[in-house]
Amino acid sequence: MKKIAISARGISASIGNASILQGIDLDLPAGRWTSVVGPNGAGKSTLLKVLAGVLRAGRAGRVEGEVRLNGTLLNHLPGRERARQMAWLGQNEETSADELTAYDAAMLGRLPHQPWMAPPSAADHAAVEQALRTTQAWDWRHRPLSQLSGGERQRVLLARALAVQAPVLLMDEPLVNLDPPHQADWLHTVRALIAAGGTVVSVLHEVTLALQADAMVVVAGGRVLHHGDCGDAATHAVLEAVFDHRIRVRQLDGQWLALPRIEAAAGAAAAATALRPTGPKGD
Amino acid sequence: MPLPAPDAARPAAAAPAAAAAAAPAATHRAGWLAVGLLVASALLMLLGASVGSTGFDSVLRMAHDPVALQIVWDIRLPRTAGAWLAGALLGLAGAVAQGLFRNPLADPYLLGSASGAALGGALAMAFFGVSPTAAQWLARVGVTGMAFLGATGAVLLTLALARGVQHTLRLLLAGVIVGVVLGAARDLVELASPDILQAMQAFTLGSTSFVGWVACALMAAAWALSAGAAWALARALDGLTLGEATAASLGLPLGPMRAGLVAAMALATGTAVAQTGLIAFVGLAAPHLVRSIARVTHQRHVLLSSLMGATLLLAADILARWALAPQELPVGVLTAALGGSYLLWLMHRRSVQGGAL
Amino acid sequence: MPCPILTLLTTSLVLATATLPAVAMDITDARGRTQSFPKPPDRIVSLLPSLTETVCALDQCHRLVGVDRYSNWPEAVQRLPQVGGGIDPNIEAIVALKPDVVLLAASSRASDRLEALGIKVVALEPKTHADVRRVLATMGQLLGVPAAQGADRVWRVIDAGVQAATQSLPARAQNVRVYFEVSRGPYAAGESSFIGETLTRLGVRNVVPAALGPFPRLNPEFVVRARPQIILIGNRSMQQAVFYPGWDSLPAVRDNRICAFGPGEADVVVRPGPRMAEAARIMARCIADKAP
Repeated sequence: MKKIAISARGISASIGNASILQGIDLDLPAGRWTSVVGPNGAGKSTLLKVLAGVLRAGRAGRVEGEVRLNGTLLNHLPGRERARQMAWLGQNEETSADELTAYDAAMLGRLPHQPWMAPPSAADHAAVEQALRTTQAWDWRHRPLSQLSGGERQRVLLARALAVQAPVLLMDEPLVNLDPPHQADWLHTVRALIAAGGTVVSVLHEVTLALQADAMVVVAGGRVLHHGDCGDAATHAVLEAVFDHRIRVRQLDGQWLALPRIEAAAGAAAAATALRPTGPKGD
Repeated sequence: MPLPAPDAARPAAAAPAAAAAAAPAATHRAGWLAVGLLVASALLMLLGASVGSTGFDSVLRMAHDPVALQIVWDIRLPRTAGAWLAGALLGLAGAVAQGLFRNPLADPYLLGSASGAALGGALAMAFFGVSPTAAQWLARVGVTGMAFLGATGAVLLTLALARGVQHTLRLLLAGVIVGVVLGAARDLVELASPDILQAMQAFTLGSTSFVGWVACALMAAAWALSAGAAWALARALDGLTLGEATAASLGLPLGPMRAGLVAAMALATGTAVAQTGLIAFVGLAAPHLVRSIARVTHQRHVLLSSLMGATLLLAADILARWALAPQELPVGVLTAALGGSYLLWLMHRRSVQGGAL
Repeated sequence: MPCPILTLLTTSLVLATATLPAVAMDITDARGRTQSFPKPPDRIVSLLPSLTETVCALDQCHRLVGVDRYSNWPEAVQRLPQVGGGIDPNIEAIVALKPDVVLLAASSRASDRLEALGIKVVALEPKTHADVRRVLATMGQLLGVPAAQGADRVWRVIDAGVQAATQSLPARAQNVRVYFEVSRGPYAAGESSFIGETLTRLGVRNVVPAALGPFPRLNPEFVVRARPQIILIGNRSMQQAVFYPGWDSLPAVRDNRICAFGPGEADVVVRPGPRMAEAARIMARCIADKAP
């Protein structure tokens, strides 16, 4: 019987009059890497925020349903305990941390472990160093964030999330601005985390990288269309369908890839013919 | 659950030692900055005791002349200490404001406390001449007391308008609205009793001439409370630098912490404004100056900003008393002129460096 | 004298009265505070020009040791050390002068500070003719000047002076409509202010009624509608060049029936003190000159 890290029941979220998520039930197993994919505006980020417990009701929106972390209701967990069990890395968070050095930014990830008003301990320093080395950010740890490129900054934020050393790690678009070597590094890191017994959930819009996970959740229109293994043909079929069959899932060297389909689909063909100045119309 | 190192060869034992040494030069710089500011403050205090309309003679005659002693001990020293304390309060409030609103241009008056204090002062001055019964009650509370009540009342009004501290943008907007509305109310009061106009101008320009030892004690108590609260809640400011959702994910109880920080800010600003009037730019410039010398996390940043603000205002006050002796310039004019020039230079330097202000 | 014994008795009586210990005076000021003065203060600092003039009008100028920067009458006062303004006094300079009492306006914040330093403060702020009379009486009491020679005498002089000014106005100047602007705003002097009371006694009509208060800020339109026949301007900066829009149509402006008081005269006119008679004379002179 697989242990469930995060279980969600009846999640609905709306902002204003717009309904973002509708009645989602999800069980994310522990010790596995699950990726969440879907078209733009499907509600993936919102879903991740609800699972992380950072989207509360009252922020100009409503959230319904319950989320359990390792069996305990999220609302019943004290904040720091939840923060120690589950780390969340957001996407496009407006930060004012320009003056902060990379090291200090990563150290912020140790807040859930630091007693009130205590200076960082040796364990905190060790965790931060490990996290920064993992994301190849150790060498310029004293540079302020304002002097870093987009990719370097993203690696620092990743290090912040890793420094929490939480058993469950939720990441929303962790690969923005990262070049292929660092994307590969990230894959390697996630695999190592899983091997050590952790749980990782990542929202990714790079479908090929998402296919490297253990399991995949396909979200569209605020609902979960499919939740299954990444190697399953059923998962591939839903994946292709949800992206209007503009991708093809193929295997190469033992890894699954999502290739863009360049031939025009039916709708695109009609649009293309309409642009021709003369010639018989019709399909 | 520890992370495996990407290169298994790297020994973990060296990590803590290396990390401790990596505690950057910034901490050392912060220490030196603190020491430097304390020394500067002490020297300026001595200078402040010697500067005034009767010059250095009073200090020399202190031993035999009771009036000279009174001048130095009861007038100059409390003014000097008051300038230092008011600057400390404003610097502290400025650092908290900039952290809370995540905006480098935030200043302690953002939540409407300046307009509230001015309105309170105007009401006190206007009613003073109207009825003797009001005068007696007001005589006990005084312009100072009314200004403090006005400042805290304005902040409470802002909080009520923003329905809590959760939404930074709403809080800012409410603060602006309250500032404008209370400013209009004060204009109406001034219209109704135009003989307070000159007195109000003196109040808004800021001055330490009415600060005695009691005022110093009040400011010191307020500083102890606000600095303590800011120190304890500084990690909320640290967490907020990465964004509100991230701070929430780190387990910080943002609601109560923000409320505590707003309260600390209101207390510090209200006390300073009530005693010395509206002094501009100290709260805005002190945190920037600290950051340009030593980048530290908020726990040390708020205290260093407080120290920097204290030294700045003390220096400005001494200059205000000295430049045109025996006449006095209002210290608020000096801080605005000097602070404005500093900000202009800062903007120019930042745009040259290519960063965003 | 026929009887030397009578002379002796009278002289000794006078001497005895003169050497009687003075009764401690209880002075109640505008703040409602009562303070006790065992004898008239010898060293006085005055922070309000009208109070400075009052002290000098009671022949006690020699008791003044310091004044504010706006006190400039009589001449002797200009040689005294200046200790800042009424609103922003230099506390240190005041204390250095070792005053027995400081006179200032009721609305000044300095009173608390000075009292905390152990200096007696008497706050007085005359706003109407009745106020001036009361302040004269209080000051006379404080300075130990008997009413007959002090407060009452000065008031009689003021009264007579205003009376004389009234009588000096020609018939055509009676009941003429006037508008007195105290400073740019426009802030006008209404009927209930001391300036308004003087104008009323002079027999002219103030276009600003008492209901609007002593120094209301008016809409310039009000003045256009009221169409005063003479405009008096009391501010020191003589800015009669630029009027408010729409005032060109006023006959007073067209015919140049404007009394602009220069710095010296403006001081006299806007201070509610012992020189109110001269203020009345100045105003009467101009009104007589400019009356249609």
